[in-house]
Amino acid sequence: MINRDGVVALIRAQMPDADVVVTDLTGTMDHYDIRVRSNAFAGKSLLDQHRMVYAALEDARQDGRIHALQLKTEVPSA
Amino acid sequence: MPDSDSLRDEITREVAANTILVYGKGTKDAPRCGFTAETIQFFNQFGYPFEVIDVLENMPKRDALSQMTDWPTLPKVFIDGQFLGDTDILGPMAQKGELTTLLTQAFEKKGVKPSVVL
Repeated sequence: MINRDGVVALIRAQMPDADVVVTDLTGTMDHYDIRVRSNAFAGKSLLDQHRMVYAALEDARQDGRIHALQLKTEVPSA
Repeated sequence: MPDSDSLRDEITREVAANTILVYGKGTKDAPRCGFTAETIQFFNQFGYPFEVIDVLENMPKRDALSQMTDWPTLPKVFIDGQFLGDTDILGPMAQKGELTTLLTQAFEKKGVKPSVVL
């Protein structure tokens, strides 16, 4: 398991400008809904945006700290 | 034990054979993962035929799939031969109307109309 601040830190390490909202879906600290807004996504397909977040969380997924996640990404509107 | 080339061939054949294909955990009738179940419910709305292939216990095939798609998680969805991620991608596409367009075009080519839903 990993706490919400830990998830935010991993994402910001790759995308320092990111707004990240993390919701624990199950109360078990390993199933998360993660919403990320970052200028790093500009010009990228939705698939590639999600790949960037998965890459940031790779180690935590591999070692099982994160078991499952659902993801929403967006570019800041203004 | 199949090598990775033959696994890739198998995946390529399966993707070509199914207009909508979901690689997931469990089967359509007995999904064994919440996200796979969610994906099945998602496609049930559209009224088009879709196939679910269970790869839960086939790690070599899961590895081959992840390499081919550069996508680490299950389920993995292919439509008309194109990799489209999961419902986190398909949901926003559906909201924008893009998914209906894609499905209509893909199935028109094969002369398949959606069954009536709702």
